[in-house]
Amino acid sequence: MKNLWKILGAALVGYTLIAGLLFDVPRLVILNETIRNLYFHVPMWFTMIALLAGSLVYSFRLLRSGDQGRLLDLNRDRQAKAFAEVAMIFSLLGLFTGMIWAKATWGAYWTADPKLNGTAVTLLIYAAYFILRGSIDDAEKRARLAAVYNVFAFVLMIVFIGILPRMTDSLHPGNGGNPAFGNYDLDNRMRMVFYPAALGWILIGWWIAQLRVRLENLSAQ
Amino acid sequence: MLRWKAVRHLLHWEYEMEYRRSNGWFLPVLFTAIVGFLCSLVVRDPSPTTWLALLWITIVFSALQSAARAFAATDAEWLYMNQLVRPGELLLGKALTNTMNTLVVTWTGLLLFHLWLGWPAQGPAEGSTIALNTGFIISISLGAVAIASTLSFTAALASKIQRGTSLMAILSLPLLLPTLLVAMRASKLALLGEPWILLYPNWIGEIVLCALPISLGALLFPYLWRA
Repeated sequence: MKNLWKILGAALVGYTLIAGLLFDVPRLVILNETIRNLYFHVPMWFTMIALLAGSLVYSFRLLRSGDQGRLLDLNRDRQAKAFAEVAMIFSLLGLFTGMIWAKATWGAYWTADPKLNGTAVTLLIYAAYFILRGSIDDAEKRARLAAVYNVFAFVLMIVFIGILPRMTDSLHPGNGGNPAFGNYDLDNRMRMVFYPAALGWILIGWWIAQLRVRLENLSAQ
Repeated sequence: MLRWKAVRHLLHWEYEMEYRRSNGWFLPVLFTAIVGFLCSLVVRDPSPTTWLALLWITIVFSALQSAARAFAATDAEWLYMNQLVRPGELLLGKALTNTMNTLVVTWTGLLLFHLWLGWPAQGPAEGSTIALNTGFIISISLGAVAIASTLSFTAALASKIQRGTSLMAILSLPLLLPTLLVAMRASKLALLGEPWILLYPNWIGEIVLCALPISLGALLFPYLWRA
């Protein structure tokens, strides 16, 4: 049953689609029904981070595979690339779901908020990663340089999106005194949907990335 | 193991080559001067925020100019350097040179801004004035060092690619944003004459953003240089 996790992922996402839209949620001023966005917006970021971490691990393993004069394992390069690509799709989805929510609650699609800046920077960094890949012809060299940049960029990105927003005021829930995982807006009913949603989307994202890897491997043959 | 003698030799050699090339030093400084003069033409009586924003944009692009040249060398020069020093020593030597160049460019920029734009028109409170202070110099200099430490590594990466100099800005600027935001906040607080107790956390941030790229670079550089 090695495909059990794929069935689990599909089942969890299916469950959260129904439960997220139909189950009862706390009634809060301004937020109203938009609180349901928690089930769809936040798991996108969890999935993005999980996939980028996967990409980082593959990049690191690619670099290590060249130790002691051995040839680089280019499979690892294809894995790193595919995981970063799928992570960017989830990043865009997270951005769009967030923008719709922001229009409903803040009144604007975009504000100069630390969290939003962090997202923009992440997209720019990985766009640069893909451009870097595109500008090198030699496969071996491309794999090595892209992996080095991936490791370097990931750490600085985590600093940017993880630490800096906590140093300044932000309108975003979870920052600057705004509630996110507080006890009154994430009650137990919401937890029953939110945690399965996060796990389900991570599994689905991982599955999509693996399918991309298989496609890349086939076209490389 | 790092051999300090090798690093020192590399530094000495770098500056001697710069001196002999004679246009080497001049290029980033002239770039700073041109951008600074452009700023002075387009903005009159800037507010502190505008003034600082222009200054940092000038510094970042001048630092990019300066760093892009850090790993530019002819094949013969590479052969000489690779025989002489190990990869770690090479990165350290280049990073030190680059940091000093960036500091020179930064201070030049500050001087020229003072000359052409003056200090920002007016302080935050009514009638308060803005003047050069130690906290501001420290904030600006730490920021410049942090920028240089990130740029040294991306310059090394870009030097491995043909036409890498045009890629350099795309690769570096997103990575520089955290550094820039912290440096800007530190220098703004300092410029407005806030007490040092408010500046320290930002300085620690700047120092962390110096140390992080350098330690990551030291870890990754051997893999990069094997290519």
